[in-house]
Amino acid sequence: MELANTLSQDGESRGGVLAHLERLETQVSRCRKKLEEPQSTQAVESALGTRIHELRRLRDKLRAEVKQHQARVKASTTNVEPDQTLEITEQEILKRKRENVKAILQAYRFTGISGKLTSRGVCVCIGTAFEGNLLDSYFVDLVMQKPPQIHHHSIPVFIPLEEISAKYLQTNIQHFLFTLCEYLNAYSGRKYQADRLQSDFAAFLAGPLQRNSLCNLLSFTYKAEPEGQSFPFCARLLYRDLTTTLPTDVTVTYQGTDALSTTREEQRAAHENLFFTKPLHQVFTSFASKGDKLDMSLVS
Amino acid sequence: MRREPAGDVGRAKEMDETVSEFFRRTILKIPMTEMMTILKTWNFLSENQLQTINFRQRKDSLVQDLVLLCEENRASLKDAALLDIIYTQFHRHQKVWDVFQMSKGPGEDIDLFDMEQFKSSFKKILKRALKNVTVSFRDAEENAVWIRIAWGTQYRKPNQYKPSYVVYYSQTPYAFTSSSQLKSNLPLLGQALTIASKHHQIVKMDLRSRYLDSLKAIVFKQYNQTFETHNSTTPLQERSLGLDINMDSRIIHENKIEKERVQRVTQEIFGDYPQPRLEFAQYKLETKFKSDLNGGILAEREEPLRCLVKFSSPHLLEALKSLAPAGIADAPLSPLLTCIPNKGMNYFKIRDK
Repeated sequence: MELANTLSQDGESRGGVLAHLERLETQVSRCRKKLEEPQSTQAVESALGTRIHELRRLRDKLRAEVKQHQARVKASTTNVEPDQTLEITEQEILKRKRENVKAILQAYRFTGISGKLTSRGVCVCIGTAFEGNLLDSYFVDLVMQKPPQIHHHSIPVFIPLEEISAKYLQTNIQHFLFTLCEYLNAYSGRKYQADRLQSDFAAFLAGPLQRNSLCNLLSFTYKAEPEGQSFPFCARLLYRDLTTTLPTDVTVTYQGTDALSTTREEQRAAHENLFFTKPLHQVFTSFASKGDKLDMSLVS
Repeated sequence: MRREPAGDVGRAKEMDETVSEFFRRTILKIPMTEMMTILKTWNFLSENQLQTINFRQRKDSLVQDLVLLCEENRASLKDAALLDIIYTQFHRHQKVWDVFQMSKGPGEDIDLFDMEQFKSSFKKILKRALKNVTVSFRDAEENAVWIRIAWGTQYRKPNQYKPSYVVYYSQTPYAFTSSSQLKSNLPLLGQALTIASKHHQIVKMDLRSRYLDSLKAIVFKQYNQTFETHNSTTPLQERSLGLDINMDSRIIHENKIEKERVQRVTQEIFGDYPQPRLEFAQYKLETKFKSDLNGGILAEREEPLRCLVKFSSPHLLEALKSLAPAGIADAPLSPLLTCIPNKGMNYFKIRDK
């Protein structure tokens, strides 16, 4: 058909020849390709074949590893024998020792004075307590230079820290810390008593409890029986010694205008004595437990 | 704005016009958002009484109603003064506070501070000196007391609109006073404070700020409250000052060592705690001119040069702390700047030694 097209006109016969040559060329290249095709497909085939082999190999390898691992796990869980524990490494022993020491260091704060070394010196923690109750902790961060100095602290401003450090810090650090400990524990104890009175025995108080920062002056009006007919007494407690939790001066007075009966006078004197000898909240606990009767046997 | 309470014509003592006006102006100052809280804190008008007031009306009418209610309940100047104290406690930043330090003689007895004695003594001293003075007290937390003083003269009644305030924590040597416009009363105030609190001397510190709580933190040394213990879970060293040096591992800082030094020095000086808040530091210089060059006009000058340098900031100490890490100043900063909380000063006079 193509031949018929090319031979129809003169002008096109040359084009026809060229076209014919072109056709022959394409035929040749087509034949060549056909020859190569099985070769390239063969190459692709063989490449794919090798790939399949590789993948199979990898798969077998992984299967073997999984089997091994499972066998190992099985072996380790079944063999819980004493000789296995010998394999605990040195590292684990040291780790346990370290945690032990850390726990002891943390527990040290229950002794009242504990500390931690810092880059400049030591940070001392003074823990306070009263009657077995743990109360606030206070810190003093010391710079251990030739004259030791206080870097910063959490001691309340009304505690005479400057006085105490002026007396002892340079010469005897131990004494400094023990004195500070005394003051802070006493302050905490007094504060605890005042707080207990205000919160637990509010029913006994006829008016607000007057106190100050150091809790070394307490003034209040109270009744020994909250609902009873007893007359209110005024108590004024002074703690002149800042290292104690019991008052140094106690005055219990009667508020009314008429003279006190003898029983009331005895009561007043007994109360005064109680405040001298027992912590404040314990006195009120004894008031509460006495009920209606006034037990004179409490006077020791 | 006075009206006879109905049915009480014979019995009621009418509220003084000045007191009424004082109530009106004091209540008017209170922002609407705080009105309920402040009135409840004042506790002069009961819940039931407050419920009779419409709090949704315009402020002027609300204030009128409240003043009327106060009049009906025979509120006195004392009650108004208390309301003024409460307003000031809520808005303490509106005043500028000075700090005074008192001292006792050596070997003094233990301070057995009695709040009632202090109050009566303080009031007595002022009243003895000035016939016309209004003194009011309000107890505050931590065994402190807020004192309000309205000053008058021998012949004039106290001016309720320019009161002085004093905040005193018992058994401490410090008192905080609002800078009063009436400076002439300061010596008397100091005297009353000193004697009533059983001290001998009083001295004004070179420390001033609007932030009363920061002043307290500075003089009570409460601003640095981080302590190393065995019980703390966060290690102190691992916190950085906001310098994210290791943000991107592809970036290498050439001056990494210097940056770390600056960070370390800043942390040593300023610590890890939030700085107390001050608004300015002022340095008055009176020094002779010092020059390396020989000669020159100023070098021959005998008189010292006077100059005033003032640093201002919404939060001066935090700003100073960030100067070196930001690269604006060298670290360590001048001790004149870093000693502010330690020395409890933000006013300095620098003279030649």
